[in-house]
Amino acid sequence: MNGDLAESSFPDNERCLLEFTETLTRAPHEMTAAHVERLRAAGWNDDQIAEAVYIIAMFAFFNRVANAFGLDDPGIPTDPETG
Amino acid sequence: MAWIKWIDDDQAHGAIAEVYDSWRAKNPGRQGIPDILKCFSPRPDFLAQVIDFSNTVHFSDGHLTRQHKELIATYVSALNQCPY
Repeated sequence: MNGDLAESSFPDNERCLLEFTETLTRAPHEMTAAHVERLRAAGWNDDQIAEAVYIIAMFAFFNRVANAFGLDDPGIPTDPETG
Repeated sequence: MAWIKWIDDDQAHGAIAEVYDSWRAKNPGRQGIPDILKCFSPRPDFLAQVIDFSNTVHFSDGHLTRQHKELIATYVSALNQCPY
């Protein structure tokens, strides 16, 4: 998976969620109220948006720890049920 | 080998061994402690909180489904590995 969302086949609401994820990951200082509003317009409610922010931030945290310890694999804990 | 010293499973004693044992008990069938968790072994108390944090925020249904959480997590990790 890479940043080529424009040509992706995700449904609109998921593509919008991934665009938000990309902004908060790559350019967090560029986040504005308009980014949040776009998610609302795509059908996400504020509780869902808040939780998305937690996930995005948590994985930024894990990724940076993995980077600094030199893990070959990002080594993110996988889902005990699906992964 | 990690660039920063950590405590491997077979070297664990005391507090870190307790956290590793607790994780193993809740994750039967998994082979060894994941490397990302070993990164927190210098602070066993923090590792226990990191595991709780991850289970609460990520590995549960909340306002988002687990599938949507996985989608976000996978994308963040992909973005963080991309040269840009």
